[in-house]
Amino acid sequence: MLEALLQGLLAVLQVKAFSFMLLGILVGFWVGLLPGLGGATTLALMLPFIYNMQPVEAFAFLLGMHSVVATTGDITSVLFGVPGEATTAAIILDGYSMTKKGQAGRALGAALTSSLIGALIGAAALALAVPIVRPLVLTFGSPELFMLAVVGLAFIASLSAQGVRGMVRGFIAGGTGLYLAMVGQDPQAGVARFTFDTLYLAQGIDLVPVLVGLFAIPEIIELVVRGSSIAGTTKPGRIEGALEGVKDVFRNGWLTIRCSLIGTFVGIMPGMGGAVAQWMAYGHATQSARTPEEREGFGNGDVRGVLGPGAACNSKEGGALIPTIAFGVPGSTSMAILLGGFFLLGLVPGPEMLTTHLSVTFSMVWTIVLANVITVALCFLLLNRLARLTTLPGHLLIPVILVLVFIGSYTTNSSYADLVVTLISGAVGYLMVRAGYPRAPLVLGLVLGKIAENYLYISVARYDAAWLLRPFVLVLLAVALGVVLYPFFQLWRARNRARA
Amino acid sequence: MHSRSSLALSLAVMVVSGAGTIAALDWPLKAKLFPMVIGIPLFCLAAAEVAWILLSKAPEEKAAEGEVPPLVARRRSLLGVGWILGLLASVVLLGFPIAVPLFVFLYLKLQGREGWIFSAVFTAAVWGAFYGLFDWLLHLPFPTGWLVAWLGFS
Amino acid sequence: MNWKPGLLVLALLPLSAWAQPQPYAGKTVTIIVGYKPGGGYDAMARLLARHLPKHIPGKPTVIVQNMPGGNSIIAANYLYSSAKPDGLTLGTFNRNLPIAQLTAVQGVKFDMRKFAWIGSAANETTVLTIRSDLPYKNFDELRKAKQPVVIGSTGPGANTYDFPLLLKDLLGVNLKIVSGYSSSADIMLAVERKEVDGRAGSISSLRPFVERKLVRPVVRARSHDVDPAIKDLPVDESIAPNPRAKAIMALRSAPELIARPYVMPPNTPPELLKVMREAFVAAIKDPAALAEATKAKLDLEYTPGEEAMKVLDEVLNQPKDIVAEFSKYVKFGE
Repeated sequence: MLEALLQGLLAVLQVKAFSFMLLGILVGFWVGLLPGLGGATTLALMLPFIYNMQPVEAFAFLLGMHSVVATTGDITSVLFGVPGEATTAAIILDGYSMTKKGQAGRALGAALTSSLIGALIGAAALALAVPIVRPLVLTFGSPELFMLAVVGLAFIASLSAQGVRGMVRGFIAGGTGLYLAMVGQDPQAGVARFTFDTLYLAQGIDLVPVLVGLFAIPEIIELVVRGSSIAGTTKPGRIEGALEGVKDVFRNGWLTIRCSLIGTFVGIMPGMGGAVAQWMAYGHATQSARTPEEREGFGNGDVRGVLGPGAACNSKEGGALIPTIAFGVPGSTSMAILLGGFFLLGLVPGPEMLTTHLSVTFSMVWTIVLANVITVALCFLLLNRLARLTTLPGHLLIPVILVLVFIGSYTTNSSYADLVVTLISGAVGYLMVRAGYPRAPLVLGLVLGKIAENYLYISVARYDAAWLLRPFVLVLLAVALGVVLYPFFQLWRARNRARA
Repeated sequence: MHSRSSLALSLAVMVVSGAGTIAALDWPLKAKLFPMVIGIPLFCLAAAEVAWILLSKAPEEKAAEGEVPPLVARRRSLLGVGWILGLLASVVLLGFPIAVPLFVFLYLKLQGREGWIFSAVFTAAVWGAFYGLFDWLLHLPFPTGWLVAWLGFS
Repeated sequence: MNWKPGLLVLALLPLSAWAQPQPYAGKTVTIIVGYKPGGGYDAMARLLARHLPKHIPGKPTVIVQNMPGGNSIIAANYLYSSAKPDGLTLGTFNRNLPIAQLTAVQGVKFDMRKFAWIGSAANETTVLTIRSDLPYKNFDELRKAKQPVVIGSTGPGANTYDFPLLLKDLLGVNLKIVSGYSSSADIMLAVERKEVDGRAGSISSLRPFVERKLVRPVVRARSHDVDPAIKDLPVDESIAPNPRAKAIMALRSAPELIARPYVMPPNTPPELLKVMREAFVAAIKDPAALAEATKAKLDLEYTPGEEAMKVLDEVLNQPKDIVAEFSKYVKFGE
């Protein structure tokens, strides 16, 4: 295995492969940055170009591009409050708040550093998991996946404000998200649920238009109201440096590592989708608040709310490669397209990738590592310039951001209906912000709703009730209960401390 | 926390979950299980929130908006909404390729109060980037606006 | 610079006046795909987009536009009513749309027969496969199974669901269909996990798993060009207990002959349709295209437009009672 590790590295360092990786990074940089482009669509568009490349080169290009998207997507989210990618929305809550306080540099520094660490951990997981990958993935069946979805939904409690009223609002938001996830044709009886007989809703509500509307539109309106630059009244030239952000990541080292592991784990689970990991990591980060006041600080610029999702978002990529390579089951849409690339190059995902073609697998690991290191380095060089954009007058940025938001929403399905969805989500998001409802649970519900339903039905159909007693199911159930009860525990502990 | 917004949201949720639950009653069991298990508690939670708001009548917090007084904030919010809806209308009626530069230019000029030359140059830059990236490089299709099509252009 | 080619052109210039007009020179042809990027229909369209230009006189650019939604009903509606019949727009969509039209699915605003059919770029055959380590080695043994055999599927409307459903309800095979998996790849993972015992699907998508001996095909639907690996399998229609069951199974399988349908909007001028059909034939025979298709695990095979029309006639002229019976089992979906 060590041989393959070395071989993989040497393969990536060859001039041709390396330059293709750089090209991929260049493309991915812009794809992640612009909210108008989804990583998945662009991957599909790039596929034709890799026909004449060797496998290692082609993957250097595709993976180089793909690894970078999550990192630069964070930049857009932090600086402008617009999700650069569907997978980088969670970081907006605290990242953008920090930017509004003039701490853009620090937020970016934290986001980039945590992204790098997350990517490294994800890549390491991929490399280390090679011997145990197949048994690992095979142990997790539909019951376990259902329970994992339940754990994800349990985070709704953590993501809600404290106190009973806060919980009620959080669960209303989460329930609404779950309800929205029910729209579309159900896979059990084929009934068209809540579609109002329209074709648009027949396949369900897409995440991107909702996400973009929910987060970007309220921020844009707020920017219009303030009439200033994003950074507000902070004088340009006093933007806190990125170095502080880097230090923050190391100050919260264990949290960063835990969030990376969450990301990797969720990434490994086939069928969980790409958007979940960041929210679970964010929820976990909020659990590290020690007092109710600290907890209130989340959503208003706590750096832990930046480094949690930042790390998880990148670490999940390494994890998602595992089921893709070992089983040909893609962990996300972009993985599905990567898979297409596999076939094009004559590689069959499966046991051979972990034995005969092990060095190709390792070259993918190295590509992720190198691509992320290069990207983060590049971003740091550009960081201060990027942060300075937040001091530009708002009215210069608003039209550009708004146009990108519209394009990003429209190009999901080439449909005007998506624009309508974005605006409605925008209205809802705006009201939620004013009413103090957390938006994170809504997204979580929307993302996990179908997964939870489908896997529950599969579990019951296949195992009747026996699946409830499977060991991992019980473990995950305990985790879910722990997650739900933790906020109450936090409150109780804080009260005890206050009394003491 | 503005209770009026919360009231609006909770009422909306009540309506949606209530109507949804009623619609779901006719479906086969497997199709209606989840919607009902989610919908009914959702309805109850939203009702609880509505009751809370109506019964507590806590004094409306005078929003500390920072430097912006509430009336100005409201006017600007409506303006922002207006611009957004305007962009939607122009995208649908005129198509993205025309709506984008038009919107950017108008926004800079009217809302931003920038000078003619600056607005023109900025618009040209944005339009160039938009065209170069989305049309020339990626061949992403943008349909012609309804108005434009109706007038006979293509 | 070599002047010989220039001289040749000058010499031939008068001849070009009698040469065929090149309506496609300098133009862009768009292929509309009723699905998001990354799926089978999209991959096929992009493959064709790469190889068609050299076979169309005038060598136009060919691009792909995705128009997902409503299981590609939206794309079909667009091609039917909104796209201009100027020869510059083609479309591909769900092969089961004729069935959607037949069963009057909500939102269908097209008549399949009125499209200008180019043909199909592939045909599919649905098979049912079960895990190799199960004791049932062939269909007869499967039919005698005492325990239900669990078949994983995505949902109604997909062949992963419909084919086994008909086997179960019309032939009485002891199957238990578990649906809700997000994709056929997830189902294969479930097979490896022994969570499900098998999966139905097109032979082209199942071939890698059959070759790897993970699963074994046991029964198939009717096929146009039978793949040698499944030639000897029993055909569901042939074992049907009565003419009605047979008609229902035949109806389900009929669209598989036009598995990758390509059409142009209604009222496209016949000469342009002819040019496009000829380009398709040439592109699909093109060795470069075939090589790429093999690598991408796509089956490439031309079915002419006339054959497609015959299939449509067969599907759309079904008597009402068969349609009613059919609708009880098969819902339009993926």
